[in-house]
Amino acid sequence: MNDILRLSLPLTVWLAAFSALYGLHGVLCSPRWDEAALGLAAGRGVLGLAGLLAVAAQVALLLALRSGRFASPSGFVRATSVGLSVVALVATLWTLIPVAATSTCL
Amino acid sequence: MNALQRHRALTRIWASEPGWTGWLTTVNHNDLGRMFLVAAATFFGIGGLLAMLIRAQLASPRSAFMGPEVYNQVFTMHGTIMMFLFAIPLFEGLTVYLLPKMLGTRDLAFPRLGAYGFWCYVFGGSMLVLSLLAGVAPDSGWFMYPPLSSSLGSPGINSDVWLIGITFVEISAISAAVEVVVTILRYRAPGMSLDRMPIFAWYMLVVAVMILTGFPPMILGSILLELERAFGMPFFQVAEGGDSLLWQHLFWLFGHPEVYIIFLPAAGVVSTILPVMARRTLMGYGWIVGAAVSLGVLSFGLWVHHMFTTGIPHMGLAFFSAASTLVAVPTAVQIFAWIGTLWTGRPQLRLPMLWILAFFATFVIGGLTGVMVAVVPFDWQVHDTHFVVAHLHYVLVGGFVFPMLAAIYYWLPHMTGRRRFFRLGETAFWLIVVGFHVTFLAVHWVGLLGQRRRTETYEPGQGWEIINLVSSIGGFVTAIGFGLVLVDVVVNAAVAIRGSRDPWGAGTLEWAMPTPPPAYNFASLPEVRGRDPLYDDPDLPVRIARGEGFLGTPRGNLRETLTVDVASGRAAHHVVLPGNTALPIVMALVTGGAFVGMLLKLYWLVPLAALGVIILAIRWVWTLGSRTDLGPQDVGRGLALPAAPEVEDPPGWWGTLFLLIADATLFGSLLFGYAFLWTVAPNWPPPAYLEPGALMPALAGAGALLAVLGPRVAERGLRRSGQAGAGLGLTLAGAVGAAVAAGLAIRGAADPQAHAYDATVWVLGGYVLFHAVLLALMVGVLGARAWAGFLSPLRYGELRILRLWADYGAAATVLGLAAAGLPGALT
Repeated sequence: MNDILRLSLPLTVWLAAFSALYGLHGVLCSPRWDEAALGLAAGRGVLGLAGLLAVAAQVALLLALRSGRFASPSGFVRATSVGLSVVALVATLWTLIPVAATSTCL
Repeated sequence: MNALQRHRALTRIWASEPGWTGWLTTVNHNDLGRMFLVAAATFFGIGGLLAMLIRAQLASPRSAFMGPEVYNQVFTMHGTIMMFLFAIPLFEGLTVYLLPKMLGTRDLAFPRLGAYGFWCYVFGGSMLVLSLLAGVAPDSGWFMYPPLSSSLGSPGINSDVWLIGITFVEISAISAAVEVVVTILRYRAPGMSLDRMPIFAWYMLVVAVMILTGFPPMILGSILLELERAFGMPFFQVAEGGDSLLWQHLFWLFGHPEVYIIFLPAAGVVSTILPVMARRTLMGYGWIVGAAVSLGVLSFGLWVHHMFTTGIPHMGLAFFSAASTLVAVPTAVQIFAWIGTLWTGRPQLRLPMLWILAFFATFVIGGLTGVMVAVVPFDWQVHDTHFVVAHLHYVLVGGFVFPMLAAIYYWLPHMTGRRRFFRLGETAFWLIVVGFHVTFLAVHWVGLLGQRRRTETYEPGQGWEIINLVSSIGGFVTAIGFGLVLVDVVVNAAVAIRGSRDPWGAGTLEWAMPTPPPAYNFASLPEVRGRDPLYDDPDLPVRIARGEGFLGTPRGNLRETLTVDVASGRAAHHVVLPGNTALPIVMALVTGGAFVGMLLKLYWLVPLAALGVIILAIRWVWTLGSRTDLGPQDVGRGLALPAAPEVEDPPGWWGTLFLLIADATLFGSLLFGYAFLWTVAPNWPPPAYLEPGALMPALAGAGALLAVLGPRVAERGLRRSGQAGAGLGLTLAGAVGAAVAAGLAIRGAADPQAHAYDATVWVLGGYVLFHAVLLALMVGVLGARAWAGFLSPLRYGELRILRLWADYGAAATVLGLAAAGLPGALT
């Protein structure tokens, strides 16, 4: 079961972070954020911070899957899980680009 | 015992009953796989007929062939049948038939569950087709957007047929997914570690997990929409705090992964057949495993790209546009691995290979138009036009139907034991491929010219006439091609000459048995030392037949098999599978009673059917387990393994674990829907929030705590002194506490028809109540089983299953009731 977790965790974390960021974006553009009167600049800051956390989580996972403590004893699972972790890190960076590159709520 | 005696003894144990009752009582995967395939092919025929009606209608402008009422039912049912009654059941059928053979085992993990799923599929599918004949078929499009599908837009029974019928059918998909995951993880030949699994098994593992996490959002959406239609709970009505966009989110949370749920089994077929046709092993096995896993997960991040025209802000659009382009990468990795395999091999252009080449050409075009519609401004232009219709047909027909035709021709000798003699298949190939491209290239074109989908006619003079006529002619040519495939398969299955055991020279284990396969698959279970066992050991089939593997000596009437350790493939447990029984079909019929009761508004039938299901479920579990301690079981080759009832993680524990993943996804989707309405829907906040007071949180917290503690206390008591009663009592108290807390939440909410918030509190409370009642029932059954001698200090696995349900129920109680009560507590 641990090997299945090693293989599935990085991309699952990407999906959770991606969905959470989209949800957070939904909150920022909703009347609830207006009611809080924090402004959209603060909202983009929150999104950026959440994005950084997501990247940090992926880097931590990648390092863990390469470490002696958490890596799989199976060479196949080790190589595939590290590969999938790289995919998840790239996916996180790629899907975060809109946070820096587009308008927030237009 | 010689090979013939072994064959006779095993056939007596594993075969279905003789005569027509055998079809109704069989739980053997060989039978069920074939039954799934035949049923799916039948539904494909019906869906294809509807496609021809659509093309006949659109062949000319201002066609009087069908009016809008009929046309709406026809195109809705075409999509519904092809997606839910053909595509998914077809690959399920292929998987049910093939997977145990490829994995080197004798059957799937839960044979009766497989049979139950099959009958739910047949009954639910028949309900939908009968509605078509009665003229009350669903007519709001296969994705049933409210408000068109709400009571206001569809006051008749049509939408109810879809919501209730499809939910009934989805029981089948969830059952099959649980069964497939547990089979792949645990029921393999000894020695088959994860890196030695056949590539098809990897694909199906990914697909099964996707089904468990992809289908629940749509099941939840169907429940919510049916609650709105039947009882006026306004989840999708804007005036009462609902939002119709919530349906789109829930539907496409299922709908986009669904595309990959359909594509990935086909990709698994290609990855299996293509190396055999190229006469080499698959290039980049590890890369393909990684690509399949990546595709499976990434596909869950794309759902909003079906909603680009709903007014989502630019940043939201860009998130999903980026994710949509990302999936092209793992898809391309697979395509390059396949090209590399062909490049470095010695390909033979036999019929399965022809279909794979057609898949390449068609699917790549479909993928490229997919990248086009992932670009937001282009999507805005072509949304809801025939361009999208053409794109999805290129992806689904090119990416699924063509590989499945390759699969049919590749494994036909396995199913029939005959060598294809008549050559209608090649003619059918050219008719289908040419006909398909003529049809849908034209549909792309007319879509770019602006023709809207789901519109029954069009005016002349827009330049669409000739294109539509050509498209319709292409469609009919395609249909003739499919007819020829049917004739070819039937004739070759019935009268072609006998073939050899492994006609393609493949290396996977399904070819290590006589064809057509015996009911038991393997006379003895092989030990595997590589990814292609027949290449590693060409004499393996003979040694299997001689009984030189595990479990080569049949015992009594026992359907014996083994489980293995997930990662290493080391032999782990001895398992006895259940035999033929009418229980699955009876249970499917009774389950259907609840759905029919909902559909026809005969609400008295629903609790009656539920009671019937409970009684049958108790009967179901009562036949499992053992009343005596069995000790280690001799499995041959000098190895003795613990019996499944005497381990901490019996097969039922694994099945429960994955069923709970589906359950948790449904619950998560409910919380997502609640949060969505709260943040996005107009007309929030509601007039009043639920006032939780002190009693409801206290009962929920105490109930959850007792539910978590109870099974642990029961297990400790059982293993130390043989007594589980105190722990079971604690669990029951926990369940009662949770149930009362849920009841208080429901009673405390205002009228559920008044506002979406109140309706949501009812659903959250109902969800908690359902799990509390389920837990209480389980405690009762386990208490009775303990009294009857099914539990002992050695046989405590069932308490581990109870523990999973109790832990989950406790978490759902705390989260669900907190979500319902916190807004009121904080304001």
